[in-house]
Amino acid sequence: MPVIELSLSGRPKSARVVGIDLGTTNSLVAYMSDTGPEVIRDKSGDGLVPSIVYYDHEEDRLLVGEEARERLITEPRKAIYSVKRFMGKGSADVREDLSLVPFQIAPGSEQVIGFQMGDRVFTPPEISAFILRDLKRRASQFFGEEVSQAVITVPAYFNDAQRQATKDAGHLAGLEVLRIVNEPTAASLAYGIDKKDEAIVAVYDLGGGTFDISILKLKDGIFEVLATNGDTHLGGDDIDNRLITLIIDELERSSGKNVAHDPAVFQAVRKLVIQAKHELSICDHALLEIYSPAEPGAGYNREITRDEFDSLITDLVERTLGPCKQALKDANLNPEQIDEVVMVGGSTRIPLVRSKVKELFEREPHIELNPDEVVALGAAIQADVLAGGRRDLLLLDVTPLSLGIETMGGVVARIINRNSTIPASAAEMFTTWVDNQTGIDVHVLQGERELVEDCRSLARFTLKGIPPQPAGLPRIEVKFLIDANGILTVSARDLRTGQQHSIEVKPSYGLTDEQIEKMLLDSFEFAEEDVRKRQLIEARNEAETVVRAAEKALAEHAQGLIDDEERAGIRRALDDLRQAVGGDDHHLIRERIKGLDDASRHLAEIIMDSALVSALKDRKASEVAEG
Amino acid sequence: MAEAATNNERGSQTLCQHCGAQPAGAHFCPVCGKIQAVAEGSDHFSFFGLPRKLRIDESELEKTFYALSRQFHPDYFMSASEAERQASMERSSMLNDAYRTLRDRIARVTYLLSLEGYKEAEKKAPPDLLEEVFELNMQVEELKAAKKMGDEEEVADARLSLEEALDGLRKKLAGIDDRLLALFEDWDSALDRSAGKAEKKPLLDRMSELLSHRSYVRHLVRGIQEEL
Repeated sequence: MPVIELSLSGRPKSARVVGIDLGTTNSLVAYMSDTGPEVIRDKSGDGLVPSIVYYDHEEDRLLVGEEARERLITEPRKAIYSVKRFMGKGSADVREDLSLVPFQIAPGSEQVIGFQMGDRVFTPPEISAFILRDLKRRASQFFGEEVSQAVITVPAYFNDAQRQATKDAGHLAGLEVLRIVNEPTAASLAYGIDKKDEAIVAVYDLGGGTFDISILKLKDGIFEVLATNGDTHLGGDDIDNRLITLIIDELERSSGKNVAHDPAVFQAVRKLVIQAKHELSICDHALLEIYSPAEPGAGYNREITRDEFDSLITDLVERTLGPCKQALKDANLNPEQIDEVVMVGGSTRIPLVRSKVKELFEREPHIELNPDEVVALGAAIQADVLAGGRRDLLLLDVTPLSLGIETMGGVVARIINRNSTIPASAAEMFTTWVDNQTGIDVHVLQGERELVEDCRSLARFTLKGIPPQPAGLPRIEVKFLIDANGILTVSARDLRTGQQHSIEVKPSYGLTDEQIEKMLLDSFEFAEEDVRKRQLIEARNEAETVVRAAEKALAEHAQGLIDDEERAGIRRALDDLRQAVGGDDHHLIRERIKGLDDASRHLAEIIMDSALVSALKDRKASEVAEG
Repeated sequence: MAEAATNNERGSQTLCQHCGAQPAGAHFCPVCGKIQAVAEGSDHFSFFGLPRKLRIDESELEKTFYALSRQFHPDYFMSASEAERQASMERSSMLNDAYRTLRDRIARVTYLLSLEGYKEAEKKAPPDLLEEVFELNMQVEELKAAKKMGDEEEVADARLSLEEALDGLRKKLAGIDDRLLALFEDWDSALDRSAGKAEKKPLLDRMSELLSHRSYVRHLVRGIQEEL
């Protein structure tokens, strides 16, 4: 590989490195501008890319983000969301999660989950790679040059397999992942700049799918993580699910039909409750309304007050307090010793969350930065450090889980404790049990429990090629190194001969190098040969879909639902778009697509609500149950 | 600091893998200035350039840790050569391991004992505690029985006496720690005087024994706390 000399004085600025927050619900990309970290936005000023991927196998079409979200409702079986929950997991790990999403799981998902989409199967790293590729494209477009290096954030609680899966996703997306950074740490980076010389910071991160609490010490430009804790199964999605359950129960009671398993109803209700949730952060009540002008009286509407909402989610919010107290205890601190509390994640906009956090830490939490963006901003700062842009800042992260190896009797011997600053290493001595034994099996685990069965299997490997000797004589030193990304590497050395031993580490949950190579080959059909050409094709394809949908809507539904003026506006936008598709300016096509979207949004909403109302009204319970 | 590191790591004869000069255990090659792979046999004290003394200025240690982190951390070697990146990673992990050990006085003395050839201290009851332990076990059993019977008054009584016993154990722990600290002082002054093995060994023996007692009492305290 090419060697670039690092000069300490000159600070050569190498290629651009971006910071990416690969979130459960939304993802963002940010960079370091001359004035500070900035989120890269699309033309409409939106920085958030919904972490949703849509794939239509018949047309072999792939959509990411907002476009995929729009199809969640009409074609829920072709979209994958919340994929972060499944990173680095086998199907048995996430049975509960899988019961909450309408995804089809491919056979053979024990070690790595496969989502069946038509005749194709995608693993979580591949789905994440599509999202990353979209962010990469967004950044490359912004800079006018290809961006190929990134810092990606993960929840502090991610284990080795989950971190590795995230790195794999970057690799598949054509991004070199220079660093995996813990999200709460990134957030405190974003808030930490130009702040005090010394402070203890608690980062409370209630995101879409995960809750993390981190206690950090900030001193002389160095961030040190004192403790982390959290809940990998707690977040805004759970809050949504509470509301969804409430609404679906009421829908079923009022309509007498079983709609819980109807994906279209589920998605429509999901969208509705998310809106209501957002409103309840600002107002003390919100309206949940499904209305069809075609069938007045068949709709559903209900008001929900903030008090009602609060009591619905109190236990969820309070579940975050236990990990907070544990983290304080691990860091050997009392709440009053915390100098700053930083809020991260959209759910921290909920007034009840803010008041509970304030109560626990006895101080007003920081909400100055956008809680959705703060992690990406921090990632951009770390990216700048890695690009050689600054040396005044240093992030010292910790490993969130203890690392151990299996010993006799299924007991785990801990070799690196959790909350150890990384990189961290440990060396263990191994020997043989029987004469002339030439191989030793080693089982590596991650977790805090005593027994192998209660910990997470990371990898198994065999030390091979040990020269035949009497039992107990060989002395093989195995070195476990957790790198600055929290990812484990293993090396072994025969202390008698000084010889390095070959180790084939087979990850227990994760993709092997061969599988990744194959995926890289597989993804050629999605590869970007010529960015411009591809963008034009994509824009045309999308325009086609939008045009078709709008025409269909006008032809089938518009009668009586909207007035003439609105209809004329949609027609005009349609013509403009058709004209643009004839040319080869993909920017113009995109612009006109947006124009048509804007013009027809109201109609689309009415149609969606009507569809839902008639679904509730017309379909027989048996049909719905079969989906 | 650099001097102490040189003294302790001398003999490893490691050459700079970048320019072939002999840096003799320094963090960076004095000739080409590049970061060095960790020399064999380097220990946590020498890594920090410290003698094997037990009383350490913890804020000074922290300062050195931060300063060395700024020199070694892989973040600053992203575009350096493979060998330098590897060395940066190894040196950083060594630094982190050393700091974690040295900043905690119990971990520190445990580590010193291992360097001096002592096995990890096993839990051993302090002799003056044996009777008390018998009594304590009885009380724990009583609490268990009371809990089982659902007799709240009995439970409260048993709790109270156990809590009193806990206070006593905590005092005992503090006493052990005081004696350890006094030994730390003796050890350090023995080093200052370049005392011989005959003088140092009893000190190490005594510290090892106190650690065994300490871990026994801590284990006991934890067990009672869980029961409460």
